[in-house]
Amino acid sequence: MSSAQLHPLLLQLERQSGPLLAQIEAALCCHGRPLRWAITAVKQRPGEPPLLQIEAVLLSGPELHG
Amino acid sequence: MPSNSPLPTILVIPTGIGCALGGYAGDALPAARLLAAASGCLITHPNVMNGAALYWSDPRIHYVEGSSLDRFAAGELLLRPVRQQRVGLLLDAGIEPELRARHLQVAAGCRATLGLDTGPVVTTMVPLEVSLSLGASGVSWGQLGRPEALLAAGRQLKAAGATAIAVVARFPDDPDSEALAAYRAGSGVDALAGAEAVISHLLSRELGLPCAHAPALAPLPLDPELDPRAAGEELGFTFLPCVLVGLSRAPDLLPVAAQGFGDKVLAIDAVGAVIAPAGALGGAAVLACAERGIPVIAVDNPCLLSVSAEALELEVLPAASYSEAAGLVLALREGIAPAALRRPLSSLQELG
Repeated sequence: MSSAQLHPLLLQLERQSGPLLAQIEAALCCHGRPLRWAITAVKQRPGEPPLLQIEAVLLSGPELHG
Repeated sequence: MPSNSPLPTILVIPTGIGCALGGYAGDALPAARLLAAASGCLITHPNVMNGAALYWSDPRIHYVEGSSLDRFAAGELLLRPVRQQRVGLLLDAGIEPELRARHLQVAAGCRATLGLDTGPVVTTMVPLEVSLSLGASGVSWGQLGRPEALLAAGRQLKAAGATAIAVVARFPDDPDSEALAAYRAGSGVDALAGAEAVISHLLSRELGLPCAHAPALAPLPLDPELDPRAAGEELGFTFLPCVLVGLSRAPDLLPVAAQGFGDKVLAIDAVGAVIAPAGALGGAAVLACAERGIPVIAVDNPCLLSVSAEALELEVLPAASYSEAAGLVLALREGIAPAALRRPLSSLQELG
């Protein structure tokens, strides 16, 4: 049996201009295959882009096939 | 388009974030029924519909597991309504014999009493090792120690002809915890919800089948002060009946490239509104809909999060309740501009 594992992730992402979804997916994909995620907080910063807190569970390990 | 034609509408109430309405045992069901009547076609997820021993079946409501709903909203999946699914039962090897027998009796009872097509039954090779946790925000998350064992059993069910999968995993009992006491009193987060979502997301995503989860737990001692919103989970020995009923008519999940189904499938292009708690707009389905220009109805439904339209710079239609949201859906369905229902009426925009 291979060693696919789930792991939690807490990510801070500086929001850029443009569509948000693609920014989040690109940031998560560096850490594994996202199984579940949500923006759980948004920190507003004067003169700077907002900082998004993202909580996620990702799948890592070999590709699984259904 | 005639005004009596349905306006497909997505209802999202994220699991495990302590929503005042929808954060307990299927206590968003009355809102879902109302929104199904207003829209004529409601697409929603198990957290909204699952009341453990309590459930409601409505042909206007499409029961779609959360990650599949995300993929539908992203335009990656189509939904094909079916008359009936064959619901395979996937049991965690970590469930004790007596509790296991209770679940098998539910599956047999749903076949005998409700006419559902349940079975076959497969047990995982090893216990799934579910653990519970809270994230930095206090949101319920969770872990699964043996994801491969879950998927191997799921593949076995699919090969045996199951077209949907009900999973029952043994969850840790913690009858004396403060979190459980708060939940039963109607003021806490459903600590089980995060791990449940992870299990069904993994299975549904990897197998491409409708899936939903029921936790197996030892019965709790009687609580005379039990909040009615949590009561559905304490009426029986299992949480399984609602899952089997929901899955029995869950739509098939088809890749977007699937052809030849004509108007018998639902695509995201047909969706006319998405409804979510005003403080929980930062999920994949809502953001995907917003980016497609689908109207977002943000309902005042207190929860742990404050990820609002203002914080995300989204344009939304605010609603003080699900009753008001149903009115907005009806307005959209009838072709009435929601802004025309508010006062003061804003002046017309003149382009320079």
